Amino acid sequence: MRILHKRGLTRAVTVTLLAGIVLTGCGREEDGAAEDTKAKKVSGGKASGEITVWALGAEGEKLGEIAADFEAENPDAKVTVTVIPFDAAHDKIATAIAGGQTPDLSPVGTTWLPEFAATGALDPTPTDVIDADAFFEGSWSTTEVDGTSFGVPWYTETRQIYYRKDLAEKAGVTPEKGWSWDDLKAFTKGMQDKAGAKWGISLQPGGQGSWQSVMPFAWQKGAELVEGDTFTFNTPPMQEALEYYASFFEEKISPTDLATGALETGFINGEIGAFVSGPWHMGILRDQGGAEFEDKWAVAPMPTEEAGTSFTGGSDWVVFKDSKNRDTAWKFVDFLSQDAQQQKLYELVGSLPAVQSTWESGELSTDPLLKSFGEQLQDAKSAPAVATWEQVAAPLDDAIEQVSLGKSDAESALADAETKANGIGFGS
Amino acid sequence: MTTSTRPEPATATVAATDHAGPRRRRRAATGNVGEPRAIPWVYAVLIGGLVLLVGPFLWMLLGSFRPDRELKQVPPAWLPENPTLDNYRTLFTDLDFPTYFVNSTVVAVAITMGNLIFCSMLGYALAKLHFPGKRAIFGLVLGTLMVPGVVTFVPLFVLVSNLGMVNTFPGLIFPFLAGPFGVFLMRQFFQSLPDELIHAARVDGAGEWRIFRSIMLPLCKPALATLGILTFLASWNNFLWPLVVAQSEERYTLPVALAIYAIGENSSDYGLLMAGSVAIVLPVLLVFLVLQKHFVRGIAMTGIK
Amino acid sequence: MAAVTAGSPSGPSTSRRSPDRGRRREVVAAYLFALPFLALFLVFTIGPVIASFLMSFTDLRSADVRSPLAVGLIGLENYSKLLSDETFHKAAFNTGYFVVIGVPLTMGLALAVAVALDSGITRMRTFFRVGYYLPVVTSIVAVAVVWRFLLQPDSGIVNTLLGYVGIDGPSWLRSTTWAMPSLIVMSAWRNMGSLVIIFLAGLQVVPKEMHEAAAIDGAGAWARFRRITLPMMRPTLLFGGVVTMIGYLQFFEEPFVMTRGGPLDSTLSTAYYTYNQFGFGNYSYAAAMAYVLFVVIALVTALQFKLLGSKD
Repeated sequence: MRILHKRGLTRAVTVTLLAGIVLTGCGREEDGAAEDTKAKKVSGGKASGEITVWALGAEGEKLGEIAADFEAENPDAKVTVTVIPFDAAHDKIATAIAGGQTPDLSPVGTTWLPEFAATGALDPTPTDVIDADAFFEGSWSTTEVDGTSFGVPWYTETRQIYYRKDLAEKAGVTPEKGWSWDDLKAFTKGMQDKAGAKWGISLQPGGQGSWQSVMPFAWQKGAELVEGDTFTFNTPPMQEALEYYASFFEEKISPTDLATGALETGFINGEIGAFVSGPWHMGILRDQGGAEFEDKWAVAPMPTEEAGTSFTGGSDWVVFKDSKNRDTAWKFVDFLSQDAQQQKLYELVGSLPAVQSTWESGELSTDPLLKSFGEQLQDAKSAPAVATWEQVAAPLDDAIEQVSLGKSDAESALADAETKANGIGFGS
Repeated sequence: MTTSTRPEPATATVAATDHAGPRRRRRAATGNVGEPRAIPWVYAVLIGGLVLLVGPFLWMLLGSFRPDRELKQVPPAWLPENPTLDNYRTLFTDLDFPTYFVNSTVVAVAITMGNLIFCSMLGYALAKLHFPGKRAIFGLVLGTLMVPGVVTFVPLFVLVSNLGMVNTFPGLIFPFLAGPFGVFLMRQFFQSLPDELIHAARVDGAGEWRIFRSIMLPLCKPALATLGILTFLASWNNFLWPLVVAQSEERYTLPVALAIYAIGENSSDYGLLMAGSVAIVLPVLLVFLVLQKHFVRGIAMTGIK
Repeated sequence: MAAVTAGSPSGPSTSRRSPDRGRRREVVAAYLFALPFLALFLVFTIGPVIASFLMSFTDLRSADVRSPLAVGLIGLENYSKLLSDETFHKAAFNTGYFVVIGVPLTMGLALAVAVALDSGITRMRTFFRVGYYLPVVTSIVAVAVVWRFLLQPDSGIVNTLLGYVGIDGPSWLRSTTWAMPSLIVMSAWRNMGSLVIIFLAGLQVVPKEMHEAAAIDGAGAWARFRRITLPMMRPTLLFGGVVTMIGYLQFFEEPFVMTRGGPLDSTLSTAYYTYNQFGFGNYSYAAAMAYVLFVVIALVTALQFKLLGSKD
């Protein structure tokens, strides 16, 4: 029977190799994918015809309501919205590009955009209808790859420090704009020592995506992740930031083995004094904390060293090159970038507007928590616009875990990550 | 098991018998030889093991009646403090549940039927018939079982879109209609059946198809039941493929639809997820309950004449 | 006792007996039996497999998917890169660890349960069968929540119980030493059910009469299990072993929901790493990894066939 098995395999391999010969005629063209990166103009007048839109998760469920307004304004246009789960949206879009089965337009995560742009499947943003200056700088930069924009920000987010007001008061410390790293350390330590919090702050001890938690500190010291065509992870500001970050674990201010889901419970019952997260946690805390918890917490801006930078993410609209109704697709994107629609999206699902002027009216201009996020958005950066970024970030996440758990020092861990990242390259 | 499984020839020393025959029933009443003393002990161990096994299922079931907020408590509680039907209400009103349910059923039933038929045919040929190329075919089938689906995913999608099957039922069904797992399972099971049944039938002039269909296949009920349960479950829970092939919501299956509503970018609705999981599990358990009845002896030795 | 030979396929002696015409008829029948499966299989399984295999010799990335033929042929470069990829080595070690402990554990438990369920218990038989199958159908999210609760360092059930006997339990999922054993136990727990029903089906070919005859001859339960049940179940055991091993060599879901491969990659499996590379759009590298894994699985499978397969 084992002969049987081996022979079967041998035959399969032979067939495969024969088929491989067919491929030998192919190869990369010298100038690479020299796709057209010049944006075409969008025709004037009202939008018409049918467009298919994919929409992700909670925002997607409500997009239908906004699309109805668009149809009312443009009676000849029809928008078909298909909601896809956030969970696997990246894989679905990537596969759809491979199979040539893309919709007319779709929102994509800000860190995915460079990867999709590299496939040549995205239509460059027509700057005759979209005004880059209307958006937060950090948000707009997520759409740009090598100087060309391939999308339009839809909603945005940035990270701030959530903290327990009551514990901070008890400890006699108050965070304020422009506070320093030392202030943050003293603040979290104070809540631990004087107000009885088990943990002063909860930071992510490495693991997937932890670069988003560390990079704000590195940017605050002036770090740059990319210079020219190399990744620069092992620089003094990066080392300083990672050492500072890891000191919270070393000094037992932050836990290293927090169970999944224990963050919210711990924060609500006063075991955890603070944590760093995005605007979505406002909703989660209101949901899980109930009314009596409402005035026990607040958000504080990121500390400032050379700068007070935070991380920004969110979602960008992209129009696919294969779209049969490109003009209407871009007109819909333009429609979604207007104050009224940005405001409506915030009201429907609580997503923060990427358009700056939207913040000048309504709840966004009065609520102190929201205002704080709005101010932080003025100084927020995102991942470098590199097609391989998600892959390059993995060794960086590993380095963060190594240092956080005290298994390695910042310099050697970062040097290792930098070598790996440059081995992966920019994907072209 | 029907009486048609009983082979006519008297030359066979082994014959299929009716499981529920009067002889067996009498024996069950008097207890099996050598077994009675072992049984209380077996019950004790089985019950002990069960406690460990049903815990998470029970938590899922109870959790489906709890608000999302309670489910996110750490450490988790067992009993709902504020029992609610809201999760089920959302599931059946906000989601187009009947459509997704029908889609899931059509896809899972078609794939299960296909595998039962095609895999048992090839499995039988591989186990009991002699033909050139048999070993190569088995090697190839077994070999593909070892290739992780994640790397064939994109080529498969490109293929399916070139065949114009995107957003269609054939696109959801065809790629899984003939799985290597089933061939392997059926081949192994057929192998453990005695050859004498086939020889005797051939001597009696039965055609190959009739031997397969009327004699061998009925003896395979336990294996077919196993394959049916496992295939149905795999297809019913499949997530990534239906997500990618279904381009509009009217083609979504239950797990895809549930993921949209329950799993968010930054936080998930555990309550809805638990209710959805319970709703998704029930048909699978039903299939299991129906099919597990076939775990009965199809073959027994008769006395040598 | 002619039926003892039931487990082995017919040898050449039987086919010699058949006349030529019968043999030709058998061959034609066999091809007709194989045809429907093979037609579907060649298009939907072999096609993509060949494509992905070819992919592993190119530098195809997700950026190239719109023109998949315009990629560089890089021969074995992906494979040689794997040789020096430390993370891959770590993942390969973890996977080996998982399989070597996990497969026998799961098989042993499943066989014990299947035999117990088939040992003539009549009361609540269906109830038990369903009960032991429940972990297979329980939503992985619920499984993850409950298992995390079991394994929590301070308030978890496991450490609470250990505390009663004076043992200070570790932080199971955050320890580089204990995370993997925790996942092995969890996987055995979760995958046992499918194997139980496969074994249950296999047990049905063991004629009760053989047991009864042996019992009358004075053979004890253990002797009967070893001399009758095990040999008769050999094809099923082989199937169970191969399938479990293939499944475990591709193990992914448990670390995905429980540890995300951490801490410090201590639960990162090759399948998980392949999945990550796929997610990064590194299709050709992921494919190369899959085929290295393929070779390993094929070798171990061949070994299992040698050990457990019928001797012809």
